[in-house]
Amino acid sequence: MYTLHYAPDNASLIIRLVLDTAGIAYQTTLVDRAVRAQDSAAYRRLNPAGLIPTLETPHGAISETGAILLWLGDTHHLAPPSDHPTHLPFLQWLFFLANTVHADLRQLFYPQLYVPTDATPGHHALLSARMIRHFTLLDSAAADHPGLFTAQGLLLPYTAALMRWSALYPANAPRWFSLSTYPTLAVLLAHLDATPAARTVAMAEGLGPLPFSAPILPRPPEGTAL
Amino acid sequence: MYTLHAIPDFASLIVHLVLAELDVPHQLALHDMDKGDLQAPAYLAIHPFGKIPALETPDGPMFETGAILLYLAEKHGALAPQAGDPARAAFLSWFVFTNHNLHTTMMQLIHPYRPGGDAAASLICPVAHDTLRAQLATLDAMVTRDRPSWLSAGQPSILSLYLAVILRWTSAFAHDPALNIPVADYPALHAILASLEGRPAIQRVAAIEGIGPTPFTKAA
Repeated sequence: MYTLHYAPDNASLIIRLVLDTAGIAYQTTLVDRAVRAQDSAAYRRLNPAGLIPTLETPHGAISETGAILLWLGDTHHLAPPSDHPTHLPFLQWLFFLANTVHADLRQLFYPQLYVPTDATPGHHALLSARMIRHFTLLDSAAADHPGLFTAQGLLLPYTAALMRWSALYPANAPRWFSLSTYPTLAVLLAHLDATPAARTVAMAEGLGPLPFSAPILPRPPEGTAL
Repeated sequence: MYTLHAIPDFASLIVHLVLAELDVPHQLALHDMDKGDLQAPAYLAIHPFGKIPALETPDGPMFETGAILLYLAEKHGALAPQAGDPARAAFLSWFVFTNHNLHTTMMQLIHPYRPGGDAAASLICPVAHDTLRAQLATLDAMVTRDRPSWLSAGQPSILSLYLAVILRWTSAFAHDPALNIPVADYPALHAILASLEGRPAIQRVAAIEGIGPTPFTKAA
């Protein structure tokens, strides 16, 4: 049995969605961000960098969303095996999501960690333009590789969560994201929202009826998103 | 045969080191950014943003440094714990940590973009420096405590080669030289880098890229 250390509407959402979709048994432990539990000694023993999520497995605790997805992909055959022709694009787009899209989104969400206050508007304009370029590229990748961007795979849940957050956060900044700009992904996110796993996850974390295709700010039954 | 699209001492260096350690046939396609090579349509067909590196493989072209490294390790069954190995869980955690966190923070220290001008850069760099120091301390403590075979002296991995290049740059090429981070401050990582430098494959790459005989512990 796996244990997923999570906070509502955090990156743990991606792992939860993958586990529920695949029907893999797990339990959850809330990381209470309201008291900065991610910085507690107990959590840091599992995840020295204090990042959410962590997945405890029989092979030890795994941190980093991309690493957890790669490991689940290997272990539960949720990704193309290494001798399959689509293994290369799978790896490329997974790392693109983790290292380029997710990393840029983090800079967009937390401008105070990167620039002084008076540079925030310029920072926002630069990063949001980059994000639009990334999502445009992902939309064509999803069209080129329909077998890789499915609700049962690993790339679509990651993409869907990044798009959800782009639509919602940071709540006090200008809006720049519009799902209809990305026609292939818009259809796929609507599909994803209709799956039982998406409904289960949305209920558990208070994400509303259409968490990916029409997101609203979360009202989680426990914990806080920020 | 692999073709690595490269510029000396860019992130292609990491892939070059891995190809050399794997001892697999490869050639370099060297580019000149000042001549606009990276924005040429032929290159944009390989890397849509015109960045370095990209690797042409028998399975097609690919980009994203982390993806290329993991692809090579899996294809050749070397330089990383493979699927099914109990060590793979921790290895993947720290490999993705390095790619997602260390590499990203390093870029802010070396090439801070400046939406707010030079004044903003001078503020970004100290923050990146402190973040990077905390991340390196976390990694050094993990190596000291766990002694993982996939990040150790005497046994190269895609992770140790990746870290070696990141530390090369942060030790000597910060945007503000006062913010360079000496590798010797992290003894466990320093020992790994020193052991890599003695390897013939590494020395060959260092000669080709012109980065000197001690590219990781005394970068210049």
